[in-house]
Amino acid sequence: MASIVEVHGLTKRFGSLLALDQVSFNVSAGRIFGLIGRNGAGKTTLLKAILGLTTYQGSVRVFGLEAARDRAALMSEICFIADTGVLPRWLRVDHAIDYVEGVHPRFDRARAEAVLAGTAIPRRGRIGELSKGMITQLHLALILAIDARLLVLDEPTLGLDLIYRRQFYDTLLSDYLDKERTILLTTHQVEEVENLLTDVLFIDHGRVVLDAAVEDLPRRFLQLEVAVGKREAARALKPFYSREVFGRPVMLFENQPRELLAELGEVRAPAIGDLFVAKLSAAAGPAAAAAAAGEAA
Amino acid sequence: MKVLAMQMRRELWEHRSLWIAPLLVALLLLGGVATLGRIQFYEGPARPAVANSPFQLMLLGWGVPFYLAAGVVVVVYLLDCLYGERRDRSILFWRSMPVSDTETVLAKLLVGLVVVPYATFALAALTSAIASAILALRHHVLVNGQIAPLWDTLTWLRMQGVMLYGLTVLLLWYAPYAAYLMLASAWARRSPYAWAFVPPVLLAMCENMVFGTNYLGRIVERGFNQVLRLAFNLNQQLAYSIGDAVPLPRSPAGGGTRPPAGGGVTELLLSPQLWLGLLAAALMLLLVIRLRRYRDDA
Repeated sequence: MASIVEVHGLTKRFGSLLALDQVSFNVSAGRIFGLIGRNGAGKTTLLKAILGLTTYQGSVRVFGLEAARDRAALMSEICFIADTGVLPRWLRVDHAIDYVEGVHPRFDRARAEAVLAGTAIPRRGRIGELSKGMITQLHLALILAIDARLLVLDEPTLGLDLIYRRQFYDTLLSDYLDKERTILLTTHQVEEVENLLTDVLFIDHGRVVLDAAVEDLPRRFLQLEVAVGKREAARALKPFYSREVFGRPVMLFENQPRELLAELGEVRAPAIGDLFVAKLSAAAGPAAAAAAAGEAA
Repeated sequence: MKVLAMQMRRELWEHRSLWIAPLLVALLLLGGVATLGRIQFYEGPARPAVANSPFQLMLLGWGVPFYLAAGVVVVVYLLDCLYGERRDRSILFWRSMPVSDTETVLAKLLVGLVVVPYATFALAALTSAIASAILALRHHVLVNGQIAPLWDTLTWLRMQGVMLYGLTVLLLWYAPYAAYLMLASAWARRSPYAWAFVPPVLLAMCENMVFGTNYLGRIVERGFNQVLRLAFNLNQQLAYSIGDAVPLPRSPAGGGTRPPAGGGVTELLLSPQLWLGLLAAALMLLLVIRLRRYRDDA
Protein backbone atom coordinates (compact mmCIF):
# COMPACT_ATOMS: atom_id res chain seq x y z
CA MET A 1 0.00 0.00 0.00
CA ALA A 2 1.17 3.53 -0.76
CA SER A 3 2.87 5.39 2.05
CA ILE A 4 1.23 8.66 2.97
CA VAL A 5 3.83 9.66 5.53
CA GLU A 6 7.51 8.81 5.06
CA VAL A 7 9.83 9.81 7.88
CA HIS A 8 13.52 9.20 7.47
CA GLY A 9 16.35 10.03 9.86
CA LEU A 10 14.27 12.68 11.62
CA THR A 11 16.27 14.48 14.30
CA LYS A 12 15.25 17.48 16.34
CA ARG A 13 17.17 19.31 19.03
CA PHE A 14 16.02 21.93 21.51
CA GLY A 15 19.33 23.37 22.63
CA SER A 16 21.17 20.49 24.29
CA LEU A 17 18.05 18.33 24.49
CA LEU A 18 17.73 15.72 21.79
CA ALA A 19 13.96 15.51 21.32
CA LEU A 20 13.99 13.17 18.32
CA ASP A 21 16.89 10.93 17.44
CA GLN A 22 17.06 9.42 13.94
CA VAL A 23 13.39 8.49 13.82
CA SER A 24 12.28 6.59 10.71
CA PHE A 25 8.91 5.03 9.84
CA ASN A 26 6.16 4.97 7.22
CA VAL A 27 2.41 5.32 7.48
CA SER A 28 0.39 3.57 4.78
CA ALA A 29 -2.91 4.83 3.40
CA GLY A 30 -6.03 3.77 5.23
CA ARG A 31 -4.35 2.85 8.53
CA ILE A 32 -5.02 4.07 12.05
CA PHE A 33 -1.55 4.66 13.31
CA GLY A 34 -0.92 5.12 17.02
CA LEU A 35 2.12 7.01 18.28
CA ILE A 36 2.51 5.88 21.84
CA GLY A 37 4.92 7.26 24.37
CA ARG A 38 5.21 8.80 27.79
CA ASN A 39 4.92 12.51 28.42
CA GLY A 40 7.98 14.18 26.95
CA ALA A 41 8.87 11.17 24.80
CA GLY A 42 8.82 13.31 21.64
CA LYS A 43 5.34 12.48 20.31
CA THR A 44 4.17 16.03 19.89
CA THR A 45 7.47 17.14 18.39
CA LEU A 46 7.20 14.28 15.90
CA LEU A 47 3.65 15.29 14.96
CA LYS A 48 4.68 18.92 14.62
CA ALA A 49 7.42 17.87 12.23
CA ILE A 50 4.91 15.87 10.17
CA LEU A 51 2.58 18.87 10.10
CA GLY A 52 5.35 21.22 9.02
CA LEU A 53 5.04 23.22 12.23
CA THR A 54 8.67 22.95 13.24
CA THR A 55 12.10 22.77 11.69
CA TYR A 56 14.07 19.52 11.76
CA GLN A 57 16.95 17.56 10.30
CA GLY A 58 16.25 14.56 8.12
CA SER A 59 13.35 14.06 5.79
CA VAL A 60 9.60 14.13 6.46
CA ARG A 61 7.53 13.63 3.33
CA VAL A 62 3.76 13.75 3.55
CA PHE A 63 1.80 13.08 0.34
CA GLY A 64 5.15 13.46 -1.38
CA LEU A 65 5.66 17.02 -0.06
CA GLU A 66 8.41 18.05 2.35
CA ALA A 67 6.48 19.02 5.46
CA ALA A 68 8.56 21.97 6.69
CA ARG A 69 8.55 23.64 3.29
CA ASP A 70 5.00 23.06 2.08
CA ARG A 71 2.87 23.39 5.21
CA ALA A 72 0.15 25.57 3.70
CA ALA A 73 -0.33 23.27 0.69
CA LEU A 74 -0.24 20.23 2.93
CA MET A 75 -2.98 21.56 5.17
CA SER A 76 -5.59 21.10 2.41
CA GLU A 77 -4.97 17.38 2.76
CA ILE A 78 -4.44 17.15 6.50
CA CYS A 79 -6.64 17.93 9.46
CA PHE A 80 -5.16 18.42 12.86
CA ILE A 81 -6.46 18.51 16.41
CA ALA A 82 -3.84 19.37 19.01
CA ASP A 83 -5.62 19.30 22.34
CA THR A 84 -8.57 21.11 23.79
CA GLY A 85 -6.63 24.29 24.41
CA VAL A 86 -6.03 25.55 20.92
CA LEU A 87 -9.40 26.82 19.71
CA PRO A 88 -9.29 30.56 20.46
CA ARG A 89 -11.50 31.44 23.40
CA TRP A 90 -12.74 34.71 21.92
CA LEU A 91 -14.07 33.08 18.75
CA ARG A 92 -17.82 32.56 18.42
CA VAL A 93 -19.03 29.10 17.40
CA ASP A 94 -20.84 30.31 14.25
CA HIS A 95 -17.80 32.39 13.31
CA ALA A 96 -15.56 29.36 13.71
CA ILE A 97 -17.72 27.55 11.15
CA ASP A 98 -17.72 30.61 8.87
CA TYR A 99 -13.96 30.83 9.13
CA VAL A 100 -13.17 27.23 8.25
CA GLU A 101 -15.69 27.42 5.40
CA GLY A 102 -13.95 30.57 4.17
CA VAL A 103 -10.41 29.25 4.15
CA HIS A 104 -10.75 25.51 3.57
CA PRO A 105 -11.65 24.33 0.07
CA ARG A 106 -12.77 20.91 1.29
CA PHE A 107 -15.03 21.97 4.14
CA ASP A 108 -18.64 20.75 4.08
CA ARG A 109 -20.72 23.10 6.19
CA ALA A 110 -23.84 20.90 6.22
CA ARG A 111 -21.82 18.07 7.67
CA ALA A 112 -20.41 20.20 10.47
CA GLU A 113 -23.89 21.51 11.27
CA ALA A 114 -25.20 17.93 11.33
CA VAL A 115 -22.56 16.83 13.85
CA LEU A 116 -23.16 19.94 15.98
CA ALA A 117 -26.93 19.39 15.91
CA GLY A 118 -26.38 16.38 18.13
CA THR A 119 -24.68 18.51 20.79
CA ALA A 120 -25.77 21.22 23.22
CA ILE A 121 -23.27 23.73 21.84
CA PRO A 122 -24.85 27.20 21.45
CA ARG A 123 -24.20 28.62 17.98
CA ARG A 124 -23.66 32.21 19.09
CA GLY A 125 -21.72 31.39 22.23
CA ARG A 126 -18.02 32.07 22.50
CA ILE A 127 -15.64 29.15 22.73
CA GLY A 128 -14.41 30.43 26.09
CA GLU A 129 -17.88 29.84 27.50
CA LEU A 130 -17.98 26.18 26.44
CA SER A 131 -16.91 23.25 28.58
CA LYS A 132 -13.75 21.35 27.69
CA GLY A 133 -15.83 18.49 26.32
CA MET A 134 -17.89 20.82 24.16
CA ILE A 135 -14.77 22.47 22.75
CA THR A 136 -13.48 19.07 21.70
CA GLN A 137 -16.86 18.21 20.17
CA LEU A 138 -16.79 21.46 18.22
CA HIS A 139 -13.24 20.91 17.05
CA LEU A 140 -14.08 17.37 15.97
CA ALA A 141 -17.20 18.58 14.14
CA LEU A 142 -15.10 21.14 12.25
CA ILE A 143 -12.38 18.66 11.43
CA LEU A 144 -14.63 15.77 10.38
CA ALA A 145 -16.48 18.09 8.00
CA ILE A 146 -13.23 18.54 6.08
CA ASP A 147 -12.66 15.95 3.42
CA ALA A 148 -9.00 15.47 4.29
CA ARG A 149 -7.03 12.34 3.56
CA LEU A 150 -4.98 12.42 6.73
CA LEU A 151 -6.28 13.15 10.20
CA VAL A 152 -3.69 13.95 12.87
CA LEU A 153 -4.79 13.88 16.49
CA ASP A 154 -2.45 14.85 19.30
CA GLU A 155 -3.78 13.70 22.68
CA PRO A 156 -7.26 14.67 21.49
CA THR A 157 -9.13 13.53 24.60
CA LEU A 158 -6.75 14.95 27.18
CA GLY A 159 -8.64 16.16 30.24
CA LEU A 160 -12.06 14.91 29.08
CA ASP A 161 -14.37 12.75 31.14
CA LEU A 162 -15.11 9.16 30.17
CA ILE A 163 -18.40 9.90 28.36
CA TYR A 164 -16.82 12.54 26.14
CA ARG A 165 -13.83 10.29 25.46
CA ARG A 166 -16.07 7.42 24.37
CA GLN A 167 -18.18 9.75 22.21
CA PHE A 168 -15.06 11.15 20.64
CA TYR A 169 -13.66 7.81 19.55
CA ASP A 170 -17.09 6.51 18.49
CA THR A 171 -17.64 9.52 16.23
CA LEU A 172 -14.11 9.24 14.92
CA LEU A 173 -14.41 5.55 14.15
CA SER A 174 -17.78 5.75 12.39
CA ASP A 175 -16.42 8.58 10.28
CA TYR A 176 -13.31 6.54 9.50
CA LEU A 177 -15.42 3.62 8.35
CA ASP A 178 -17.42 5.95 6.06
CA LYS A 179 -14.46 7.47 4.30
CA GLU A 180 -11.05 6.83 2.84
CA ARG A 181 -9.03 8.31 5.65
CA THR A 182 -5.74 7.70 7.35
CA ILE A 183 -5.50 8.57 11.02
CA LEU A 184 -2.36 9.32 12.97
CA LEU A 185 -2.88 9.78 16.67
CA THR A 186 -0.81 10.15 19.78
CA THR A 187 -1.89 9.23 23.25
CA HIS A 188 -0.55 7.94 26.48
CA GLN A 189 -3.89 6.41 27.39
CA VAL A 190 -3.17 3.29 25.41
CA GLU A 191 -6.04 1.17 26.65
CA GLU A 192 -8.56 3.60 25.16
CA VAL A 193 -7.40 3.27 21.59
CA GLU A 194 -6.18 -0.30 21.80
CA ASN A 195 -9.05 -1.71 19.73
CA LEU A 196 -8.93 1.14 17.26
CA LEU A 197 -5.35 0.98 16.08
CA THR A 198 -4.02 -0.90 13.07
CA ASP A 199 -0.40 0.10 13.69
CA VAL A 200 1.63 1.16 16.68
CA LEU A 201 4.86 3.08 17.06
CA PHE A 202 6.32 3.16 20.56
CA ILE A 203 8.60 6.09 21.13
CA ASP A 204 10.80 6.81 24.13
CA HIS A 205 13.40 9.51 24.69
CA GLY A 206 13.11 10.47 21.04
CA ARG A 207 13.82 6.97 19.76
CA VAL A 208 11.58 4.40 18.13
CA VAL A 209 11.24 1.40 20.45
CA LEU A 210 8.72 -0.56 18.40
CA ASP A 211 7.15 -0.09 14.96
CA ALA A 212 4.64 -2.82 14.11
CA ALA A 213 1.25 -3.61 12.63
CA VAL A 214 -1.22 -4.60 15.34
CA GLU A 215 -2.16 -7.74 13.39
CA ASP A 216 1.46 -8.92 13.60
CA LEU A 217 1.78 -8.40 17.34
CA PRO A 218 0.27 -11.75 18.45
CA ARG A 219 2.69 -13.60 16.21
CA ARG A 220 5.65 -11.66 17.44
CA PHE A 221 4.91 -11.14 21.14
CA LEU A 222 3.49 -13.56 23.67
CA GLN A 223 2.70 -13.23 27.32
CA LEU A 224 3.20 -16.21 29.58
CA GLU A 225 1.69 -16.69 33.00
CA VAL A 226 4.27 -19.08 34.30
CA ALA A 227 2.93 -22.27 35.92
CA VAL A 228 4.17 -23.30 39.35
CA GLY A 229 7.62 -24.80 39.21
CA LYS A 230 8.34 -23.66 35.64
CA ARG A 231 9.96 -20.34 36.48
CA GLU A 232 13.54 -21.34 35.73
CA ALA A 233 12.58 -23.07 32.49
CA ALA A 234 10.70 -19.97 31.39
CA ARG A 235 13.60 -17.71 32.32
CA ALA A 236 15.89 -19.83 30.18
CA LEU A 237 13.87 -18.78 27.11
CA LYS A 238 15.02 -15.19 27.74
CA PRO A 239 11.90 -13.10 28.33
CA PHE A 240 12.51 -9.44 27.61
CA TYR A 241 10.30 -8.45 30.52
CA SER A 242 9.08 -10.06 33.67
CA ARG A 243 6.87 -9.05 36.58
CA GLU A 244 4.90 -10.62 39.41
CA VAL A 245 1.08 -10.65 39.36
CA PHE A 246 -0.53 -12.03 42.51
CA GLY A 247 2.66 -13.88 43.28
CA ARG A 248 2.87 -15.52 39.87
CA PRO A 249 5.53 -14.51 37.39
CA VAL A 250 4.26 -13.05 34.10
CA MET A 251 6.83 -12.88 31.30
CA LEU A 252 6.86 -11.41 27.83
CA PHE A 253 8.67 -13.06 24.95
CA GLU A 254 9.55 -11.94 21.47
CA ASN A 255 9.69 -14.39 18.59
CA GLN A 256 9.31 -17.56 20.68
CA PRO A 257 7.12 -20.39 19.34
CA ARG A 258 3.74 -20.52 21.06
CA GLU A 259 3.91 -24.31 21.46
CA LEU A 260 7.15 -24.06 23.40
CA LEU A 261 5.71 -21.49 25.81
CA ALA A 262 2.41 -23.34 26.17
CA GLU A 263 4.26 -26.12 28.00
CA LEU A 264 5.30 -23.64 30.70
CA GLY A 265 1.96 -22.05 31.53
CA GLU A 266 -0.90 -20.00 30.13
CA VAL A 267 -0.05 -18.16 26.91
CA ARG A 268 -1.87 -15.21 25.35
CA ALA A 269 -1.22 -12.14 23.27
CA PRO A 270 -0.27 -9.19 25.48
CA ALA A 271 -2.45 -6.08 25.56
CA ILE A 272 -0.82 -3.13 23.81
CA GLY A 273 -0.57 -1.31 27.13
CA ASP A 274 1.33 -4.22 28.68
CA LEU A 275 3.56 -4.49 25.67
CA PHE A 276 4.27 -0.76 25.88
CA VAL A 277 5.34 -1.00 29.52
CA ALA A 278 7.45 -4.07 28.78
CA LYS A 279 9.18 -2.61 25.76
CA LEU A 280 9.98 0.65 27.51
CA SER A 281 11.34 -1.09 30.57
CA ALA A 282 13.42 -3.43 28.47
CA ALA A 283 14.85 -0.41 26.70
CA ALA A 284 15.54 1.64 29.82
CA GLY A 285 15.89 -0.53 32.91
CA PRO A 286 13.74 -1.03 36.01
CA ALA A 287 13.37 2.61 37.12
CA ALA A 288 11.76 3.51 33.82
CA ALA A 289 9.65 0.37 34.03
CA ALA A 290 7.96 1.54 37.20
CA ALA A 291 7.38 4.99 35.74
CA ALA A 292 6.01 3.55 32.50
CA ALA A 293 3.73 1.21 34.43
CA GLY A 294 2.30 4.20 36.29
CA GLU A 295 1.85 5.97 32.97
CA ALA A 296 -0.01 3.15 31.25
CA ALA A 297 -2.31 2.73 34.23
CA MET B 1 -8.49 36.46 -2.36
CA LYS B 2 -11.36 34.76 -0.57
CA VAL B 3 -8.91 33.42 2.00
CA LEU B 4 -7.38 36.85 2.52
CA ALA B 5 -10.82 38.43 2.98
CA MET B 6 -11.81 35.79 5.55
CA GLN B 7 -8.47 36.22 7.32
CA MET B 8 -9.21 39.94 7.65
CA ARG B 9 -12.75 39.32 8.93
CA ARG B 10 -11.25 37.03 11.53
CA GLU B 11 -9.02 39.88 12.73
CA LEU B 12 -12.04 42.13 13.18
CA TRP B 13 -13.81 39.37 15.15
CA GLU B 14 -10.88 39.07 17.50
CA HIS B 15 -10.00 42.74 17.88
CA ARG B 16 -13.41 44.31 18.20
CA SER B 17 -11.97 47.57 19.49
CA LEU B 18 -10.75 48.21 15.92
CA TRP B 19 -14.28 49.05 14.80
CA ILE B 20 -15.91 49.83 18.13
CA ALA B 21 -13.55 52.73 18.96
CA PRO B 22 -14.18 54.79 15.78
CA LEU B 23 -17.92 54.06 15.98
CA LEU B 24 -17.96 55.20 19.59
CA VAL B 25 -16.25 58.46 18.63
CA ALA B 26 -18.85 58.96 15.88
CA LEU B 27 -21.71 58.39 18.31
CA LEU B 28 -20.24 60.69 20.96
CA LEU B 29 -19.53 63.51 18.52
CA LEU B 30 -22.85 63.31 16.75
CA GLY B 31 -24.63 63.06 20.09
CA GLY B 32 -22.76 66.11 21.29
CA VAL B 33 -23.53 68.11 18.18
CA ALA B 34 -27.19 67.14 18.33
CA THR B 35 -27.75 67.96 22.00
CA LEU B 36 -25.40 70.79 22.94
CA GLY B 37 -25.99 74.43 22.06
CA ARG B 38 -29.31 75.89 21.11
CA ILE B 39 -31.27 76.43 17.99
CA GLN B 40 -31.05 80.03 16.95
CA PHE B 41 -32.45 81.09 13.65
CA TYR B 42 -30.89 84.14 12.07
CA GLU B 43 -33.49 86.78 11.54
CA GLY B 44 -31.55 89.76 10.32
CA PRO B 45 -31.31 91.00 6.77
CA ALA B 46 -29.52 88.79 4.27
CA ARG B 47 -25.82 89.39 4.30
CA PRO B 48 -23.22 88.00 2.01
CA ALA B 49 -21.52 84.96 3.42
CA VAL B 50 -17.87 85.33 4.19
CA ALA B 51 -15.01 82.89 4.17
CA ASN B 52 -15.84 79.27 4.50
CA SER B 53 -12.67 78.63 6.48
CA PRO B 54 -14.56 77.96 9.73
CA PHE B 55 -16.26 75.15 7.84
CA GLN B 56 -12.91 73.87 6.67
CA LEU B 57 -11.45 74.07 10.14
CA MET B 58 -14.44 72.24 11.52
CA LEU B 59 -13.96 69.49 8.93
CA LEU B 60 -10.28 69.16 9.82
CA GLY B 61 -10.96 69.20 13.55
CA TRP B 62 -13.82 66.74 13.17
CA GLY B 63 -11.45 64.06 11.88
CA VAL B 64 -8.93 64.41 14.74
CA PRO B 65 -10.72 62.36 17.44
CA PHE B 66 -11.47 59.65 14.88
CA TYR B 67 -7.85 59.31 13.84
CA LEU B 68 -6.59 59.49 17.43
CA ALA B 69 -8.92 56.69 18.47
CA ALA B 70 -8.09 54.61 15.39
CA GLY B 71 -4.37 55.26 15.91
CA VAL B 72 -4.43 54.00 19.48
CA VAL B 73 -6.41 50.84 18.70
CA VAL B 74 -4.25 50.09 15.65
CA VAL B 75 -1.05 50.34 17.71
CA VAL B 76 -2.52 48.04 20.36
CA TYR B 77 -3.73 45.71 17.60
CA LEU B 78 -0.40 45.50 15.79
CA LEU B 79 1.40 44.74 19.05
CA ASP B 80 -1.02 41.93 19.88
CA CYS B 81 -1.77 40.44 16.48
CA LEU B 82 1.09 37.94 16.39
CA TYR B 83 1.67 37.63 20.12
CA GLY B 84 -1.86 36.83 21.26
CA GLU B 85 -2.15 33.73 19.09
CA ARG B 86 1.01 32.32 20.63
CA ARG B 87 -0.01 33.27 24.15
CA ASP B 88 -3.28 31.32 23.95
CA ARG B 89 -1.77 28.62 21.68
CA SER B 90 -4.53 29.19 19.13
CA ILE B 91 -1.72 29.53 16.58
CA LEU B 92 -1.84 25.72 16.38
CA PHE B 93 -5.44 25.99 15.19
CA TRP B 94 -4.77 28.80 12.73
CA ARG B 95 -1.78 26.98 11.34
CA SER B 96 -3.78 23.78 10.93
CA MET B 97 -5.70 25.56 8.18
CA PRO B 98 -4.44 25.83 4.60
CA VAL B 99 -3.47 29.48 4.98
CA SER B 100 0.15 30.44 4.42
CA ASP B 101 2.06 32.53 6.94
CA THR B 102 2.51 35.18 4.24
CA GLU B 103 -1.25 35.46 3.78
CA THR B 104 -1.79 35.67 7.52
CA VAL B 105 0.79 38.40 8.08
CA LEU B 106 -0.43 40.30 5.02
CA ALA B 107 -4.02 40.18 6.28
CA LYS B 108 -2.96 41.57 9.65
CA LEU B 109 -0.96 44.35 8.02
CA LEU B 110 -3.84 45.25 5.69
CA VAL B 111 -6.27 45.41 8.60
CA GLY B 112 -3.97 47.77 10.52
CA LEU B 113 -2.79 49.94 7.64
CA VAL B 114 -5.67 49.89 5.14
CA VAL B 115 -8.98 48.60 6.45
CA VAL B 116 -9.15 50.48 9.76
CA PRO B 117 -7.62 53.80 8.56
CA TYR B 118 -9.74 54.10 5.42
CA ALA B 119 -12.91 52.88 7.12
CA THR B 120 -12.25 55.49 9.79
CA PHE B 121 -11.77 58.07 7.08
CA ALA B 122 -15.11 57.11 5.49
CA LEU B 123 -16.82 57.25 8.87
CA ALA B 124 -15.33 60.66 9.67
CA ALA B 125 -16.36 61.98 6.24
CA LEU B 126 -19.91 60.69 6.52
CA THR B 127 -20.44 61.96 10.05
CA SER B 128 -18.93 65.35 9.20
CA ALA B 129 -21.66 65.77 6.59
CA ILE B 130 -24.35 64.78 9.08
CA ALA B 131 -22.87 67.05 11.74
CA SER B 132 -22.80 69.95 9.29
CA ALA B 133 -26.47 69.48 8.58
CA ILE B 134 -27.28 69.44 12.30
CA LEU B 135 -25.10 72.44 12.99
CA ALA B 136 -26.63 74.39 10.13
CA LEU B 137 -29.98 73.91 11.79
CA ARG B 138 -28.90 74.65 15.33
CA HIS B 139 -26.26 77.33 15.13
CA HIS B 140 -24.96 80.24 13.23
CA VAL B 141 -21.28 80.70 13.16
CA LEU B 142 -20.39 84.31 12.96
CA VAL B 143 -17.13 85.59 11.58
CA ASN B 144 -16.53 89.32 11.96
CA GLY B 145 -20.22 89.68 12.56
CA GLN B 146 -21.10 87.93 9.35
CA ILE B 147 -22.58 84.49 8.91
CA ALA B 148 -20.16 81.85 7.82
CA PRO B 149 -21.70 79.10 5.73
CA LEU B 150 -21.79 75.68 7.34
CA TRP B 151 -22.08 73.74 4.20
CA ASP B 152 -20.38 73.93 0.86
CA THR B 153 -20.28 70.75 -1.16
CA LEU B 154 -17.22 71.73 -3.12
CA THR B 155 -15.29 72.65 0.02
CA TRP B 156 -16.40 69.45 1.70
CA LEU B 157 -15.22 67.37 -1.23
CA ARG B 158 -11.95 69.23 -1.42
CA MET B 159 -11.31 68.83 2.29
CA GLN B 160 -12.02 65.12 2.06
CA GLY B 161 -9.47 65.01 -0.75
CA VAL B 162 -6.93 66.79 1.46
CA MET B 163 -7.52 64.38 4.29
CA LEU B 164 -7.50 61.31 2.09
CA TYR B 165 -4.18 62.41 0.67
CA GLY B 166 -2.79 63.25 4.09
CA LEU B 167 -3.93 59.92 5.43
CA THR B 168 -2.31 58.01 2.59
CA VAL B 169 0.94 59.91 3.04
CA LEU B 170 0.90 59.23 6.77
CA LEU B 171 0.25 55.55 6.25
CA LEU B 172 3.13 55.21 3.79
CA TRP B 173 5.38 57.24 6.06
CA TYR B 174 4.48 55.25 9.14
CA ALA B 175 4.45 51.82 7.46
CA PRO B 176 7.91 50.93 8.90
CA TYR B 177 6.64 51.62 12.42
CA ALA B 178 3.66 49.36 11.82
CA ALA B 179 6.04 46.66 10.59
CA TYR B 180 8.25 47.20 13.64
CA LEU B 181 5.29 46.80 15.99
CA MET B 182 4.37 43.56 14.22
CA LEU B 183 7.96 42.41 14.55
CA ALA B 184 7.86 43.10 18.30
CA SER B 185 4.60 41.16 18.45
CA ALA B 186 6.03 38.19 16.56
CA TRP B 187 9.29 38.26 18.49
CA ALA B 188 8.24 38.80 22.11
CA ARG B 189 7.99 35.85 24.46
CA ARG B 190 6.47 37.91 27.23
CA SER B 191 5.76 41.55 26.64
CA PRO B 192 5.56 42.89 23.09
CA TYR B 193 5.13 46.38 24.58
CA ALA B 194 8.54 46.18 26.22
CA TRP B 195 10.09 44.96 22.97
CA ALA B 196 8.46 47.74 21.04
CA PHE B 197 9.40 50.62 23.30
CA VAL B 198 12.40 49.74 25.45
CA PRO B 199 15.15 48.74 22.96
CA PRO B 200 14.99 51.91 20.82
CA VAL B 201 15.11 54.13 23.91
CA LEU B 202 17.82 52.12 25.68
CA LEU B 203 20.05 51.93 22.61
CA ALA B 204 19.76 55.64 22.00
CA MET B 205 20.56 56.38 25.66
CA CYS B 206 23.56 54.06 25.64
CA GLU B 207 24.92 55.65 22.49
CA ASN B 208 24.52 59.06 23.99
CA MET B 209 26.28 58.11 27.23
CA VAL B 210 29.11 56.12 25.67
CA PHE B 211 29.90 58.07 22.54
CA GLY B 212 28.20 61.33 23.35
CA THR B 213 26.58 61.20 19.92
CA ASN B 214 22.98 60.92 18.94
CA TYR B 215 22.95 59.20 15.55
CA LEU B 216 20.67 56.47 16.73
CA GLY B 217 18.49 58.96 18.52
CA ARG B 218 18.04 60.77 15.26
CA ILE B 219 17.19 57.56 13.45
CA VAL B 220 14.88 56.65 16.25
CA GLU B 221 13.34 60.07 16.09
CA ARG B 222 12.81 59.61 12.41
CA GLY B 223 12.13 55.93 12.51
CA PHE B 224 10.45 55.22 15.79
CA ASN B 225 9.12 58.62 16.63
CA GLN B 226 5.58 57.42 16.36
CA VAL B 227 6.24 54.98 19.15
CA LEU B 228 7.46 57.64 21.54
CA ARG B 229 5.80 60.89 20.90
CA LEU B 230 5.31 61.77 17.31
CA ALA B 231 2.02 59.98 16.98
CA PHE B 232 0.63 63.41 17.61
CA ASN B 233 3.29 65.39 15.87
CA LEU B 234 3.49 65.65 12.12
CA ASN B 235 6.89 65.27 10.62
CA GLN B 236 8.15 68.59 9.36
CA GLN B 237 8.61 67.47 5.82
CA LEU B 238 5.31 65.70 5.84
CA ALA B 239 3.41 68.75 6.98
CA TYR B 240 5.19 70.67 4.31
CA SER B 241 4.21 68.12 1.69
CA ILE B 242 0.58 68.14 2.65
CA GLY B 243 0.49 71.90 2.90
CA ASP B 244 1.90 72.30 -0.53
CA ALA B 245 0.03 69.54 -2.21
CA VAL B 246 -3.43 70.67 -1.25
CA PRO B 247 -3.17 74.12 0.22
CA LEU B 248 -5.65 75.50 2.66
CA PRO B 249 -6.97 78.88 1.63
CA ARG B 250 -5.11 81.65 3.38
CA SER B 251 -7.32 84.60 2.76
CA PRO B 252 -11.08 84.90 2.68
CA ALA B 253 -10.87 86.34 -0.78
CA GLY B 254 -8.98 83.31 -1.98
CA GLY B 255 -11.95 81.13 -1.18
CA GLY B 256 -9.83 78.04 -1.42
CA THR B 257 -9.45 78.34 -5.15
CA ARG B 258 -5.69 78.77 -5.20
CA PRO B 259 -4.34 76.04 -7.47
CA PRO B 260 -2.15 73.49 -5.75
CA ALA B 261 1.45 74.48 -5.77
CA GLY B 262 3.54 71.87 -7.53
CA GLY B 263 6.11 69.81 -5.69
CA GLY B 264 4.27 68.25 -2.71
CA VAL B 265 3.56 64.83 -4.13
CA THR B 266 6.62 64.80 -6.34
CA GLU B 267 8.87 65.87 -3.52
CA LEU B 268 7.44 63.21 -1.30
CA LEU B 269 7.76 60.50 -3.92
CA LEU B 270 11.34 61.56 -4.57
CA SER B 271 12.32 61.65 -0.92
CA PRO B 272 14.70 58.83 -0.02
CA GLN B 273 13.29 58.72 3.53
CA LEU B 274 9.97 57.49 2.22
CA TRP B 275 11.51 54.73 0.13
CA LEU B 276 14.04 53.72 2.75
CA GLY B 277 11.19 53.51 5.22
CA LEU B 278 9.15 51.32 2.91
CA LEU B 279 12.17 49.13 2.25
CA ALA B 280 12.72 48.76 6.00
CA ALA B 281 9.04 47.88 6.39
CA ALA B 282 9.28 45.20 3.70
CA LEU B 283 12.38 43.67 5.30
CA MET B 284 10.80 43.62 8.74
CA LEU B 285 7.66 41.99 7.33
CA LEU B 286 9.77 39.27 5.73
CA LEU B 287 11.30 38.68 9.14
CA VAL B 288 7.84 38.58 10.72
CA ILE B 289 6.71 35.93 8.22
CA ARG B 290 9.82 33.87 8.91
CA LEU B 291 9.33 34.16 12.66
CA ARG B 292 5.73 33.01 12.45
CA ARG B 293 6.73 30.17 10.20
CA TYR B 294 9.68 28.76 12.08
CA ARG B 295 8.99 29.55 15.72
CA ASP B 296 7.57 26.65 17.62
CA ASP B 297 7.25 27.81 21.20
CA ALA B 298 3.44 27.66 21.20
